[in-house]
Amino acid sequence: MSEPETREIRTDYLARVEGEGAMLIRLRGDELEEVQFKIFEPPRFFEALLRGRQYTEAPDITARICGICPIAYIASACNAMEAVCGVDLPDELRALRRLIYCGEWIESHVLHTAMLHAPDFLGYDGAVELARDRRDLVELALRLKKAGNTLMRVIGGREVHPINLRVGGFYRAPTVSELQALVPELEWARDAAVELTRWVAGFEFPDYEQDYAFVGLRQPGEYAIERGRIVSSTGLDIDVSEYEHHFTETHVERSNALHSTLEGVGPYLVGPLARYALSSELLSPLAREVAAEVGLGPVCRNPFRSIVVRAVETVYAADEALRLIAAYERPAEPWVDVVPRAGTGHGCTEAPRGICWHRYEIDDEGVILDAKIVPPTSQNQKVIEEDLVGVVRQSLHLPEDELAHRCEQTIRNYDPCISCATHFLKLEIERM
Amino acid sequence: MHEQALIDDLIAKILAVAEAERGGQVVRVRVWLGALSHFTPEHFREHFVDASRGTVAEGAEVEATVDDDLTHPRASGVVLESVVVASRGNRVSG
Repeated sequence: MSEPETREIRTDYLARVEGEGAMLIRLRGDELEEVQFKIFEPPRFFEALLRGRQYTEAPDITARICGICPIAYIASACNAMEAVCGVDLPDELRALRRLIYCGEWIESHVLHTAMLHAPDFLGYDGAVELARDRRDLVELALRLKKAGNTLMRVIGGREVHPINLRVGGFYRAPTVSELQALVPELEWARDAAVELTRWVAGFEFPDYEQDYAFVGLRQPGEYAIERGRIVSSTGLDIDVSEYEHHFTETHVERSNALHSTLEGVGPYLVGPLARYALSSELLSPLAREVAAEVGLGPVCRNPFRSIVVRAVETVYAADEALRLIAAYERPAEPWVDVVPRAGTGHGCTEAPRGICWHRYEIDDEGVILDAKIVPPTSQNQKVIEEDLVGVVRQSLHLPEDELAHRCEQTIRNYDPCISCATHFLKLEIERM
Repeated sequence: MHEQALIDDLIAKILAVAEAERGGQVVRVRVWLGALSHFTPEHFREHFVDASRGTVAEGAEVEATVDDDLTHPRASGVVLESVVVASRGNRVSG
């Protein structure tokens, strides 16, 4: 048999991450019968691979769970290991951990607000298309994000997956002059974040609200970031070690991400809307002033307005970073000794997307025997589905491509890990 | 962690190329795997076989080049360099 005639087509096409989520809308006549939101991103088995490793390794290993919010995983793991070993971090090291966390909030919030979510509201496919018409805004956002990244690099040694944090503190504490050098750019960033907030507050928001059960950390005297008790708008107020007595994770066949529920309540929301509802009075005066100026009341129940709350939190993170730098004195020692002892420790911090909870059991040698990690996106998954039901019910009159866009926009309200892709959602409508 | 989503996107592009070539069967694809792409050629082929099943790309030969330059601007990426398509009517038997 002769070789078939062929033709080679040069493509030079860079593959993109696409379609990590799918959504099924089942209609009976004109009535919405069911909405299923599926996440395909495969399990990564971090909890299993932590077993047998040293307690000192957990922060660096879990940091790899996310390239955008590694500090959340590092800080939660450190808190848990310090708790099991009976160590209270000195105030100056705690403040430094909070400071680098501010850097993460800035870079993560700006990435999502300006590059991923804003284009949804303005009818652009992404930030590249937005830049063609609003280069000034995209450049402002890039510089703002860079200010957060720089803070992470100066304290953490590098911007992505920082390597200077350890159980008990830091390998090296920055000098006062190293942090002071960041002040002018952070002052610019604070002003730019105010501008960003005003810009996004002017978007047109779908008229949709949900009566959420908000869950977040609360810390007396400060807007909770790197520590606090777990509280809810339904009256919960517990130590982070009690989490598993009140929250349940369940596996559903259609998704690789576990679904979380709060006992006696059901689905709950974590992240900016929750933090803001639970602790907005603890924001800095400037952040509170900006929030009031753009019309945010004490509680915001419209998930599409989460973009505004995220921008207000960016103002706060820049403001708080400046406050922490002004008060900074280089610690005599960059870390405290943390001697392992057998037991179980818990840690929980406010990742940009919501609470990130860790539990570790270690032995006397510091070997990890068991680990459990509950990231924010999976906690929100069930409430995302509830939002989708509400939004789809309001939007069934839309053409299919517009409906898909509205659903992607709804899911992006939560800044989930899968939404970096431009078109991450495969929409299937089943009519019965 | 994103291998499946990357391959799905790549298959979509390959099928679009084949469609533009009047639906001919895909005989061979050439891909470039960046040093930080987390792919080995074997790993890539395994995903490709799964993702291409039932499409005109099923059974296509995969030529994968692995780059070892960590500083390459596309080091974390996967690039579809070319697609070889049989002319329509020339179905290639397995």
